[in-house]
Amino acid sequence: MIASADPQSRLRPGRYRIALAIIALIVVALVVSSILNYVYLDSIPGRTSLYGLLAVVLIAFGTFILVNAYNRDPAMRRKSLIRASVLIGLGALLWLLVIDVFLFTQSAGPAVAALCALACLPTTAFALVVVRRMDRNHKEPWRLVLVAAAWGAIVATSLVVWGETVWEQSAQHALVPGPGLDTSLAFMAGILEELSKGIAVLLLFLVMRNEFDDVVDGIVYGAAVGLGFNYLESISYMTNIYSIFAPEGAGGVAAGVQWYGRQVLGLFFGHATYTAFIGAGVGIARQLPSMRKKVIAIAAGFIVAIAGHFAWDAWAALFPVDTTIFVIVEIHLRTLILEGPFTAALIALLIFGIRYEGQNLREQLHKEAATGLGAILPEEVPILTSPWQRLKQRLHALNRQGVRAYFKVSRLQTAQLDLAMERWHRERKELDTPLEAEQRLRERVIQLRHWVPAA
Amino acid sequence: MSTRPAPTSYDHLRVLYRTLLVLATVSAVILSIGLVQFAYFEPIGENTGATATIVGVYKYNSTTGQIEGSDRSEFPREGEFAAKVDWSSLPSNLVVDARWYDSFGTLRGQVGPATPADLADKSLVPVLVPEGYHFVLPGRYTFVVERLRNNLPVEVLGRRFVRVDRT
Repeated sequence: MIASADPQSRLRPGRYRIALAIIALIVVALVVSSILNYVYLDSIPGRTSLYGLLAVVLIAFGTFILVNAYNRDPAMRRKSLIRASVLIGLGALLWLLVIDVFLFTQSAGPAVAALCALACLPTTAFALVVVRRMDRNHKEPWRLVLVAAAWGAIVATSLVVWGETVWEQSAQHALVPGPGLDTSLAFMAGILEELSKGIAVLLLFLVMRNEFDDVVDGIVYGAAVGLGFNYLESISYMTNIYSIFAPEGAGGVAAGVQWYGRQVLGLFFGHATYTAFIGAGVGIARQLPSMRKKVIAIAAGFIVAIAGHFAWDAWAALFPVDTTIFVIVEIHLRTLILEGPFTAALIALLIFGIRYEGQNLREQLHKEAATGLGAILPEEVPILTSPWQRLKQRLHALNRQGVRAYFKVSRLQTAQLDLAMERWHRERKELDTPLEAEQRLRERVIQLRHWVPAA
Repeated sequence: MSTRPAPTSYDHLRVLYRTLLVLATVSAVILSIGLVQFAYFEPIGENTGATATIVGVYKYNSTTGQIEGSDRSEFPREGEFAAKVDWSSLPSNLVVDARWYDSFGTLRGQVGPATPADLADKSLVPVLVPEGYHFVLPGRYTFVVERLRNNLPVEVLGRRFVRVDRT
């Protein structure tokens, strides 16, 4: 019989059931909201929502197959990857078509929409690279970081359309225009947008717990979801503002200001920070021993995210911004004062999490080296615990043996850190995979070591 | 190998957990301030039962200061428009005003505040073209007739929505 790290864990089947229930709810919500949008709103977003439904379902289903592909044996993995690629590809193409034809084309034209999308691509890509590199001890796989960003961009944005439209229309029909209405709309954005983004983080945690190790991973995935959401929101605002100001000859400037505000100044401050807090809550919950504390941690992450989002939407307009040259200083100050404290708190959590993770990985690397099983050698421990030493080792391989050697050493280092991470979780009884999984990781490291040329 | 988490590790996790709880507490305070702010600007029990009669929204000629044509809910971008209010439909003891807001929530025209009797000769409330622009901005415009208390709008007595086309 294969021993499990936590033989009494009943969480695993529960996790999958919760994940399936959430996915089913999302699909139902999307279908209902799309039909209601189409029937009652008959607006451009309403039509986009309905026609884009198939694209959203294709992408959701494709990403689910993709993340699960790596849990299968290599023979099945290839088949799953092909299926996932076809579904995601079809979904993405359909989505772009829907967006181009029914949304942006009608407001600003396809050329402007394409330009806006292109303008936001390098900044968002840069931010994703930075966010992924923040996890300096144990980087997350690109496929999951990109899946998180895609969910933020496509599924989360689609989820909020109906809810926000209903809230906004009801508020505009019932409340006094001015600060009261603005406060209500700030609550709307904070609650609905953070819930829709947070669901993506929660699903990643439920379905891919093996790749969701701690608070640092939560922050990375949460920020990736936020960056994806910010990407699509930026395109939407840029095209909309362009179409409003273009007849006055100021469309390009207006879109440019939006781009700067959302893709430069607010790139890490806005959605990325808010959703990273949800990820932090889920990441901390991942390692907490009791269910009660897990629920509290996840709820706490959501509350911080909602409050951060609310504070910006409700109070940004109260910050004095005049029409003189000082406006440049003032808009930067406004972001720094209103969003800076949240981002600073998140960075503090991140730094603390990285140190916590680093200490434990070091401890596990030492313990594994002491076993003498050969997966980790004592002289490798100082290298594996330092990102700079690891990079130095890879560059050394690159200089001596070329690019292939660089990637082989990289794979070896990743497998060694995976092993240390597995040991850490097993020691803390945070795993429900059998002990055999750890032995398999060890064998993989030894196998990779044979392939790596002597450095 | 020990099956229990190392004590130092657990302490680190506890610090992270408690830090998150502190942040959540601060966030709950922020959200509570938001609720108080909402309650201040949207006070409960401010319903007089009075209703303002908005006769309609019409094409407006800013040169003559007159309205033209019939009541409409959609206007082309280059067209100016104004709402017509029957101030006599309101009790004379109220302090009221009428305002236009554009889709950004920016004030784009106003008469008042004053009593309905004082506003009798100001039945037309035109939308103003923003300074430095040739036309009004497209989008959804909201026209409201409001009751004020201590210079603060507390009740909407009448409301109309108008769409200005992008082209």
